[in-house]
Amino acid sequence: METLLGIKGPDFVMLAADTTHARSIVVMKDDQNKIHKVSNNLLISTIGESGDTEQFTEFISKNIALYKMRNGYDLSPHAAAHFTRKNLAEYLRSRTPYQVFMFVAGYDPNDGPELTFIDYLASAKSVNYAGHGYGAIFASSIYDRYWHPKITQDEAYDVLKKCVVEIQKRLVINLPNFNVSVVDKDGVKNLDPITAKSLAAEPAA
Amino acid sequence: MALAEICKISNAPYMRRTAWDLSDVEEDLKAHTSNLANPYTLAAPPFENPMHNLNLIQANADKTGIKIDFDHGTTTLGFKYKGGVILAVDSRATGGQYIGSQTMKKIVEINQFLLGTLAGGAADCVYWDRVLSKECRLHELRNKERISVAAASKIMANIAHEYKGMGLSMGMMLAGYDKRGPGLYYVDSEGSRTPGNLFSVGSGSLFAYGVLDSGYHWDLEDDVAQELGRRAIYHATFRDAYSGGIIRVYHMTPTGWIKISETDCMELHYKYEEQKAQAAAAAQ
Amino acid sequence: MSNLGFQQFPEYQVPGVQQADFSPYESNGGSIVAIAGDDFVVIAADTRLSSGYNIHSRDQSKLFKLSDQTVLGSTGCWADTLSLTGLLKVRMQGYEHTHLRTMATDAVAQMLSITMYNRRFFPYYVSNILAGIDKDGKGVVYSYDPIGHCERAFYRAGGTAGTLLQPVLDNQIGHKNINLSSSELPKLTIERAVAIASDTFISAAERDIYTGDSVLINIITKDGIEEKKLQLRLD
Repeated sequence: METLLGIKGPDFVMLAADTTHARSIVVMKDDQNKIHKVSNNLLISTIGESGDTEQFTEFISKNIALYKMRNGYDLSPHAAAHFTRKNLAEYLRSRTPYQVFMFVAGYDPNDGPELTFIDYLASAKSVNYAGHGYGAIFASSIYDRYWHPKITQDEAYDVLKKCVVEIQKRLVINLPNFNVSVVDKDGVKNLDPITAKSLAAEPAA
Repeated sequence: MALAEICKISNAPYMRRTAWDLSDVEEDLKAHTSNLANPYTLAAPPFENPMHNLNLIQANADKTGIKIDFDHGTTTLGFKYKGGVILAVDSRATGGQYIGSQTMKKIVEINQFLLGTLAGGAADCVYWDRVLSKECRLHELRNKERISVAAASKIMANIAHEYKGMGLSMGMMLAGYDKRGPGLYYVDSEGSRTPGNLFSVGSGSLFAYGVLDSGYHWDLEDDVAQELGRRAIYHATFRDAYSGGIIRVYHMTPTGWIKISETDCMELHYKYEEQKAQAAAAAQ
Repeated sequence: MSNLGFQQFPEYQVPGVQQADFSPYESNGGSIVAIAGDDFVVIAADTRLSSGYNIHSRDQSKLFKLSDQTVLGSTGCWADTLSLTGLLKVRMQGYEHTHLRTMATDAVAQMLSITMYNRRFFPYYVSNILAGIDKDGKGVVYSYDPIGHCERAFYRAGGTAGTLLQPVLDNQIGHKNINLSSSELPKLTIERAVAIASDTFISAAERDIYTGDSVLINIITKDGIEEKKLQLRLD
């Protein structure tokens, strides 16, 4: 039901996530932020089984914070993704698996941007662009068509907008609002949400 | 016993001598009432998947005559507005098709600044709310200040997550007033926990949402807000067979909670009918 | 239900084999009625113990005296009733020895709730009604669901004929949906409570196969417990 989107550019990673919190057929909330700032250069976006999402994301982010306290420096995005994947994989084989889908997105001063796709079976892959959830199916072809290696932040935001327009046009499930966050060399920044309202206000492309 | 020793099974419980002396009895008692000492240690079931097994037993109730029906609570709502938080609930408890009670208390008074609503399994909610009030009191004693709504709801969410998949059934709202102002959290047995301005939980929640959403805005006056909560629950009791009885309204203010009203929904029904008739007569 | 998870390995399944569910429960029947007045409480239970269409006993009390002020009525799966009341008995005794006083009725009510919730994932199959005198000297009734949800009330019916008896009590004791002023309503005395409890059982024995033989009635007041017995249909 929920949807996550992610795009990596030459010097940034941009994430988008819908803001719907649904329970059976009821929308309980329409302003749930699913993109979590973990450190100055790390974002994690999570969807999946309710309860697990909050609990697992918090577990990971607090452990990453603990790592920084102990060592005095941050875990690199690559290491953070590995840490997340390993924990998820270990829980998967326990009595209490977590059913979560996530993106680990970060910017490393040396290695540049990093976007890692992790699904509930703990398969992880560093990607240029990807999505989670039903909405991602519609988004994938848009990425293929419009993404290029030198994509700028403005262009990426436009691609995400195209994805949201398509999701709202073709997906039966109503996902009106998407939060957007970006991480680059200057840290984490929240961009304007892409909403049905903001899209309607724009002149038709 | 030599073989047992070689095989290292002499310490296994089934190899132990049972003399049934006093210590055995004490141990037995402790094992069967473990949660009196520590509320988090419930007896482990003698099968793997308690939720699945209990569902099977309940599904076969017609054949076996064994009807393990738990009491269930139903429609509850809560919303924040400029004057604090309003909570409104019905009071019907159903075990299967049978109305077990028409007077159930679905708002639990955890302390003067914290209220919990109760939907889903009545025993689950009441038991864990009691554990929560203990934890909140301990927090107060340890830290010399009241617990925040955020922290209290987190304790509840952690408990729920610990027992996820075991078949607990809870959908509760925690309302309170702390340093950050009015607080309203939704916590359920899935382990999810989320703050919000307006929630409704239970089988009648869809009906309550309809009335609530169309009458809600932040700047309601106190009496209008209380009446909105009451009306939303009334309409849920009217439409939803699992809801009914008495409609209770509580108001969380900066100085603690106040019980606003407890009205039988039949009384409200005739009152609203009359209002409608008067309005119709006036329009003619 | 399979402890070994055979369902996960279809290649090992033998045709014609039926998997039995793990369900160590039985309904042994019986009904309870409790009515509380200002300074007394009456609790009654029939004495029939059955299993399916067999009657095991015609003279089995389902009332358990926990103290001079508190009596528990328990029906459902007799094995679970025995386990549960056994535990309570020992707990009551322990309390008395450590605190040098008898546990009050409301404390017993809470203890029973928590003890039942201990078996949340493998419930006691029992219908419990607790009757007693509270610390203010008033009669109270507590009723329970199988996992220990407890509600304080003034009258309550439980057990196999509980659904048959409760509406009668709602009418006669609760005076529900009766348009009479409170002065016109009969006062609830011990005699009236006993009479209504007896009558409900006489009626229940007419319609419920698991209720019959005789009724044991306990009348609890501040002075102690008085026991009465009433013969019912034996068929």
